[in-house]
Amino acid sequence: MDADEVRAKLTGAGAPGILSVDPFPGVAARVRFSPDSAAPLFPIVRDALGFPHLSTVGGIDWVERYEVFYLLWSDTAKTYLLLSADLDAKAPHIETASSTWPSANWHEREAWELVGIGFDHHPDLRHLLMPDGYDFHPLQRAFKLHEPEELEVKVRHV
Amino acid sequence: MSAAQPTVPPATKPMAPAVGPGGQLPVLSPDVSFIEIEALRSQQFLPAAKEALSALVKEQAEGTLIRPLFNWAGRNSLFPLHWGLACCAIEFAAAFGARWDAERFGVVPRSSPRQCDLMIVNGTVTWKVAHKLVTLYEQMPEPKWVIAMGNCATGGGPFRTAYSVVPGVDKLVPVDVYIAGCPPRPEAMLDGILRLEELIRERGA
Ligand code: SF4
Repeated sequence: MDADEVRAKLTGAGAPGILSVDPFPGVAARVRFSPDSAAPLFPIVRDALGFPHLSTVGGIDWVERYEVFYLLWSDTAKTYLLLSADLDAKAPHIETASSTWPSANWHEREAWELVGIGFDHHPDLRHLLMPDGYDFHPLQRAFKLHEPEELEVKVRHV
Repeated sequence: MSAAQPTVPPATKPMAPAVGPGGQLPVLSPDVSFIEIEALRSQQFLPAAKEALSALVKEQAEGTLIRPLFNWAGRNSLFPLHWGLACCAIEFAAAFGARWDAERFGVVPRSSPRQCDLMIVNGTVTWKVAHKLVTLYEQMPEPKWVIAMGNCATGGGPFRTAYSVVPGVDKLVPVDVYIAGCPPRPEAMLDGILRLEELIRERGA
């Protein structure tokens, strides 16, 4: 499966909000889409393109914008597919993928708490790696490494 | 001992004295067999035990027996919590294996904090695990001690300024002995336990 085939299949299935389909090293193609069309796009990618497995969800802070990406695996085509969307720098948010791929649940929790990307309609957007009440998104560029004394986190006694 | 000599001495051979002239421990000659060394050890043990017992009897007469007795028993049977936080836990585990055998100091790891009087913090403490660590510490019965094992538990180590790491476990619980190293070797961990025993003796009673 290459970029042309991915593009043809997406067009054939009437996928909304596709901005570009390019070749990308290590994956069949990199599909950039508009975040507004995430909700109808995800089931099409899963069913029409045949990518039932979501390997990971990640976020990147590019300072002037955020990017969220989804790495998918196809058992039949034996290849990866990269979906990515650019998000607003002020309030980055996108529809959750966890109703399409349940494995997105924890990956989105992680992308939320470390990079600060909001996932709308996520069933359980809680802290995953950090304690409850941790008020930072440490993988954002604006986050400064703290002197230990400054990093005040309250220890919750059970 | 050369290969020509027998390993087991004849039964009629007289045993070497336990304590040499002038109260010095005897210098073992090269032809002393292992059986003789074991016998010598037990002979040296008896005077030491007698001395310890007479000290106890004296303290009982003075009415100060129970606390020293508990102190003596407690510091020679430290039960650390059996857990592992990070890479230092590998050295912790090795210290209880056959090569270093920490149990010869009476140190036996227990899996329940209710049975422990020593918490060896053997690894990186993250903020996520911090309140669980405090809960475990609070579940341990008094008297209890804490050893910070390795640079991470002592002051955050290589992750001191990281966003997720507690910069030293003494921010959470009181620490009695710090062991430096990344990771400390099992000998260092055993040394730390022996230091803690000294500390308990100094503080005790
Ligand atoms: S002190 Fe070194 S070996 Fe020990 S837990 Fe920290 S990083 Fe690992």
